[in-house]
Amino acid sequence: MTNAPEEQGGTGKYYVVYVCMLLISAIELFVAYHRPRGGQLLGTLLILAFIGAILGVLYFMRLASENRNAVIGFAVFTLFVLATINYGWTDSFRLLLGVPYAK
Amino acid sequence: MSHSEAVLEGSGHGHHVPVFEPSPFAVPAKKLAMWLFIISDIMTFAGCLIAYGFLRNAQPDWPRPYQSGTIISVTIMTLIMITSSLTMVLAVRAARAERRHEAFRFTMITLVMGLVFVALHLREWFSMIGQGVTFYKNPWGTGLFGGAYYSVTGIELLHVMAALIAFVIVGMGYKRGRYTSVDLENCGLFWQFINIVWMFVVPLVYLMNVAG
Repeated sequence: MTNAPEEQGGTGKYYVVYVCMLLISAIELFVAYHRPRGGQLLGTLLILAFIGAILGVLYFMRLASENRNAVIGFAVFTLFVLATINYGWTDSFRLLLGVPYAK
Repeated sequence: MSHSEAVLEGSGHGHHVPVFEPSPFAVPAKKLAMWLFIISDIMTFAGCLIAYGFLRNAQPDWPRPYQSGTIISVTIMTLIMITSSLTMVLAVRAARAERRHEAFRFTMITLVMGLVFVALHLREWFSMIGQGVTFYKNPWGTGLFGGAYYSVTGIELLHVMAALIAFVIVGMGYKRGRYTSVDLENCGLFWQFINIVWMFVVPLVYLMNVAG
């Protein structure tokens, strides 16, 4: 089987994504030194990181130019993996709050 | 007759033709395998980062040791990673158009940037070791900090070094005609994945712990 046909258009979109990723990193740095409260800092940084990751996956990993079934399949599978692995967070709050059965 | 029917029918004009199922997502099998590997590798990194977040969240005396020198170094590393992602995607694009010399040149530029990243990463590690941070103790707070830090950044560094070895082998092989554009594209996918992981490592490990 051969590759999918080369997508139309030049390399301009890659440079746009590159600049966007640099901007996201700069905003992250600014936010970290601006020091919002802990939860806000984490939330803001994670949202920015996810935006950068989505840009990277779609354009630098070229998922946007793949077959639509592949895009949906990979996305669903990855989100399922990430969602199920997050069950541990509740236990970290339980340890922090020191409820009896955590000791 | 559709393409899939033709492939599945498996014979024609009296000649025996091997029967193949079409690739499920209409991508080459090697590339599909790389995507599945990346998805499984997401579990590795997600496990490490979530464990790191778990420990940081559960420890009130988590250290915040990163001075501006470290943050500047990490910012340069991020710049290198993002720029190397751009050069790698340009290498893949050239490879798909069968422009072998251009693809090889961009791959080697990516390789050099990866080597600089590794050098800066090791410099950070030696700096931390010099400040007394080991797997089990450090001068600032909970002893879990060092283990969590070295695990998360170490697994990232290990992936980067594996990708650089792949760049040398596949890049040279592609230039000589031994490997195809799909092989180089797989290297590119892996490199982009490492870059995306780095975009999570920086905020969680470094920017959340800037010294006040």
